[in-house]
Amino acid sequence: MQTSSSASSLCAVDCIFNRSNQQPYPSSFNFNLGLPTGSRKLKVSKLNAGFWESIRSGLIKNNTTQVIEPPSSPEEEEEPLPQEFVLVEKTLPDGTVEQIIFSSGAEVDIYDLQALCDKVGWPRRPLSKLAAALKNSYMVATLHSVKKSAGEELTGPSSGKKLIGMARATSDHAFNATIWDVLVDPSYQGQGLGKALIEKIIRALLQRDIGNITLFADSKVVEFYRNLGFEPDPEGIKGMFWYPRF
Amino acid sequence: MILPLRGLTTSRLPSLHHHKPPPPRTATISSALSIPDEALTSRGFTFHRTPQNLNLDHLNSVFVAVGFPRRDPEKIKVALEHTDSMLWVEYEKTKKPVAFARATGDGVFNAIIWDVVVDPSFQGIGLGRAVMERLVEELVSRGIVNIALYSEPRVLGFYRPLGFVADPDGIKGMVYSRKNNKKKSQFL
Repeated sequence: MQTSSSASSLCAVDCIFNRSNQQPYPSSFNFNLGLPTGSRKLKVSKLNAGFWESIRSGLIKNNTTQVIEPPSSPEEEEEPLPQEFVLVEKTLPDGTVEQIIFSSGAEVDIYDLQALCDKVGWPRRPLSKLAAALKNSYMVATLHSVKKSAGEELTGPSSGKKLIGMARATSDHAFNATIWDVLVDPSYQGQGLGKALIEKIIRALLQRDIGNITLFADSKVVEFYRNLGFEPDPEGIKGMFWYPRF
Repeated sequence: MILPLRGLTTSRLPSLHHHKPPPPRTATISSALSIPDEALTSRGFTFHRTPQNLNLDHLNSVFVAVGFPRRDPEKIKVALEHTDSMLWVEYEKTKKPVAFARATGDGVFNAIIWDVVVDPSFQGIGLGRAVMERLVEELVSRGIVNIALYSEPRVLGFYRPLGFVADPDGIKGMVYSRKNNKKKSQFL
């Protein structure tokens, strides 16, 4: 049954990429969806279905191991950062498998994002403006959780896929980038996911030759960013805000 | 679908910052310019808000004159194409840019002002202030009220009278430094 459903997933993959795919399953996590934005959700889930087999056979050593993707290699590595990949995979005692998927090209459901902002306690912002801000951002990185019960088939377009983290960067595409709105679902905090989000964004920006990566950090999270390579007030340069409301 | 329209957004959301909603901000921010357009145009200075007619080599010379590293004009061109707002002053006599500033951002919530420069031969007559006031005014008129910048220590006094506050509420401007990246140090 799994074989036949993978075959049907294969057809979907072939249709999407419009090329002959001789391999039974995607051979690695490095895939570039490159899909038209409107149809992305459905196709991601079909691709993931084909994924599951390769993951099960190749990756899971024992049922309780939390497999984490190899630590980020330094920027010297020639291979470009894939647009979407599995960051963490965990098998829970009941057999459910949960994957945390990083993506720098995924479409973000605005309602999911607003719900996530609510969860971390941020004041509400108009949805239309949220959408515009994302559209005008140079890079939007997301973390999604995908859960699958043991033996279950991933059917619907977004079955079990939950937005659990996001960060975005604005940029002039040449010199500077600024990271804004970094958030991780409180129930997923403390696992290094925020750190991974930022590390991946930095790597993607550096690969695009954007040398000046900046952000503004609350006093409480200055240490967090310091540990990721950010320096406050470098050479005495100070962040300033116009008539801040404090 | 009905979008909850709440009017002008007022909240500022820096990285991982949580706070209660601030009171609504009305649009009565003073837009009085300290130096009106007339005072400057009559002295041979004209304002421009697009990169059209801006000679990038001349601009680069101004950058270098104030101490910025010389940058690839092709890259400057790309940067300007992806810049939300800019303002530059042309000196009619020479047709050269003598003051410049630009702002990038997401177009709705946040903007950062970069590359604020005044040709050293034209400093001290209010051009920098004029450029900044107009740039901020434009951003505010588009509803962007979270306007930030990174200031070198010696020009903090230039930005303060314009309404800029350093480290408000302890918020720190931070910059990524490759040499701070521990992993990278393995390969040095």
